[in-house]
Amino acid sequence: MRTLLHVVLRELYRISSKREYWFSMLVAPLVCVFFFTSIMDEGLPHDMPIGIVDQDCTPTSRNLVRNLNSFEHIKIAEAYPNVTEARKATQRGDIYGFYFIPKGTTKKANRQESPVVSFYTNYTFIVAGSLLYKDMRTMSELASGAAGRKVLYARGASEKGALGFLQPIVIDSHAIGNPTLNYSIYLSNTLIPGVLMLFIFMVTVYSMGAEIKESTGEALLRAAGDNPLRALYGKLIAHALIWIGIGAIYVFYLYGVLLYPCYCGIPTMLGVMALGVFAAQGMGTLMICALPSPRLGLSFASLWGVISFSISGMSFPVMAMHPILQSLAWLFPLRHYFLLYVNCALDGFPIINAWPYVIALLAFALLPALLPTRFRNIMTKIAYKQ
Amino acid sequence: MNKSFARELYLIFHDEGILIFFIVVPLLYPLIYSFIYTDEVVRDVPVCVVDESHSVESRKFIRLVDATADVKVVAYASDQHEAQKLRRERKTYGYICIPSDFGDLITHGEQAHIGVFTDMSGMLYYKAIVMASTNASLEMNADIKLSRSETTTAEQDKATVSPIRYDEVALFNPQGGFAAFLIPAVLMLILHQTMLLGVGMSAGTRREQRQQRIAAGMHEVHRSLFKALRDALHRTWGRCFAYIVVFIPVSAYVLSVVPRIFNLVQIGSFPDVAMLMLPFLLAVVFFAETISHLVTRRETIILLIVFTSVPLLFLSGVSWPGCALPPFWHHFAMFFPSTFGINAFVKINTCGASLAEVRTEYISLWIQAGAYFVMCVYLTLWEKSREYRQEIAWFEEPDL
Repeated sequence: MRTLLHVVLRELYRISSKREYWFSMLVAPLVCVFFFTSIMDEGLPHDMPIGIVDQDCTPTSRNLVRNLNSFEHIKIAEAYPNVTEARKATQRGDIYGFYFIPKGTTKKANRQESPVVSFYTNYTFIVAGSLLYKDMRTMSELASGAAGRKVLYARGASEKGALGFLQPIVIDSHAIGNPTLNYSIYLSNTLIPGVLMLFIFMVTVYSMGAEIKESTGEALLRAAGDNPLRALYGKLIAHALIWIGIGAIYVFYLYGVLLYPCYCGIPTMLGVMALGVFAAQGMGTLMICALPSPRLGLSFASLWGVISFSISGMSFPVMAMHPILQSLAWLFPLRHYFLLYVNCALDGFPIINAWPYVIALLAFALLPALLPTRFRNIMTKIAYKQ
Repeated sequence: MNKSFARELYLIFHDEGILIFFIVVPLLYPLIYSFIYTDEVVRDVPVCVVDESHSVESRKFIRLVDATADVKVVAYASDQHEAQKLRRERKTYGYICIPSDFGDLITHGEQAHIGVFTDMSGMLYYKAIVMASTNASLEMNADIKLSRSETTTAEQDKATVSPIRYDEVALFNPQGGFAAFLIPAVLMLILHQTMLLGVGMSAGTRREQRQQRIAAGMHEVHRSLFKALRDALHRTWGRCFAYIVVFIPVSAYVLSVVPRIFNLVQIGSFPDVAMLMLPFLLAVVFFAETISHLVTRRETIILLIVFTSVPLLFLSGVSWPGCALPPFWHHFAMFFPSTFGINAFVKINTCGASLAEVRTEYISLWIQAGAYFVMCVYLTLWEKSREYRQEIAWFEEPDL
């Protein structure tokens, strides 16, 4: 026990004496917590610029434009004389889309000739594109409805009857757990742990790589009473103390201060976070044991950490990926953390409901226990090559 | 100049660490990313239906929803609890509730409501389920309207169903796909990040080797400060030139071969992209040289740079609309060549803009190239003169 404490203290001293650790264990993770939550603090982007091509120029078309401008996500930035000009502005990136009302729209609508308006959205920017599409489509439906309502009222229909005729079926959508479609809730909850795990991979590899590079592996083993498992766990415990501190700050900030949905309560999320930390440390240990050279180990860690963001399925669903990738996704701790977060915090189901992911994270966390021999070898036998 | 250029080229190809970042990562990463996103959209999201109406109308609605490409009805539940249970088991990603009075209300000519409940673990599930239900409801609405009105001709039908019709046009990414949206930005980001990593690693190696030489007492001493500075600058040119030479074929592969392999949108003109790459590579290489003054050890640059990839993507305004960036981050983004590089490339490559249409980004990249050039010259001179003073100090006091 005393030797273990010795290794932990030795590691804490090593950490405190290098700028690299301060940066990647404290500064950068906390900056990322602040970065992601502040960059999307609006929840959904408001007032995105679109263009308008109104060749009709009647009170009706101007009314449509005014209504369009009052939509949450839309701000009419500029009017263009024709579609070509508006398209060029879209290509320049001045606007994310435009609404086109051709000449004679009002006239045709009044004569019941069913005119056609159109809207163009730039899907190169998919978030902006989808939101604008939704608003512009709603506006088009409303415009059509308003024109129809005029005719119905003229024929003496009641308001209820008119609504029942114009829109017999109404869809009420309920977004479970995130009713305002807040993008920060949707993304920050996985992006920030993803960054944290990336740093855990890298720092675990870096700290063990540093022992190889500085040829201090023998000294480490001596400090641990020649017990490689104790040496390994001593290092990992020292790191875990810091990582769990950062993880706790993250959990309290998101669920305690920003009040993001957390139906399971903060203690459960702290537990899930701790599990994620241990799993990432286990994976990091495996990386340096597999590639016992600081730069190769770090390259492996970066690759795994960066791919995690995509393969966790947080933005693009895993079920839409190639079957090979669906199986590979199991090898990324962030994937399991993401599923546990969804199960516990977002949906509020009991954690037992997602037991396979708990087991998976535990398996990652137990990896170092299988590697004492390998760890002794890389600490004592491998020399650093420039 | 020529000597240091050749020397740096030699170093790049004989250092596996740098080779990984200059060759292996740009070669493989785009393929991995494109492979992940290659299906573009999510199809057949499994949903469950709670049909309490059991009417002709409700069954028609379910059929229409099931027929869309986005959604697949995989189960019928007797009540919401059962539907929720299926969602808990992650067998479905949402459920559609049709209340018991649905059919009656429609027959009476009143509005009937359908509840659509979606999983929010991914925005794409929400989008797929809501879109499918909305489209099904609009289609049924049109039919119901027709059946209630006494129209006789097709023209009258059209006017009744939609007094004003609309066309929706998805520009530059017609299927609204994920790969077409994300990959072009990621490609530029890969070039940006690998350059920073490779240059930083090379700088870290140089500084480590210098420390070793000093430790071994083998440091060379220049005869004059002027010569020392001249040498240092020559080496910096040689290096930067070598990096750019390596990155020309790499960029050509990443930006023009990869999109072709995965059939991504590529409507920009090649000369415009090539013209864009000139200031981009210059800005990135000088930025990388500037940043590399922060590192003293070989591996440090990895800790410093890798995590910035996701934030840089957000700062570029591609994954999160640039107009919604808080002002502070909007200005902060302007320090990175990736911001302008990604935007300009996306506009040229995916939106088909010409070079003149991205002149803001183009000029900004040149300004960045100039500013980082000055920075990197200044830092090189500063570092060298500090080293020179140290060398002189050692030279004068050899006993120490």
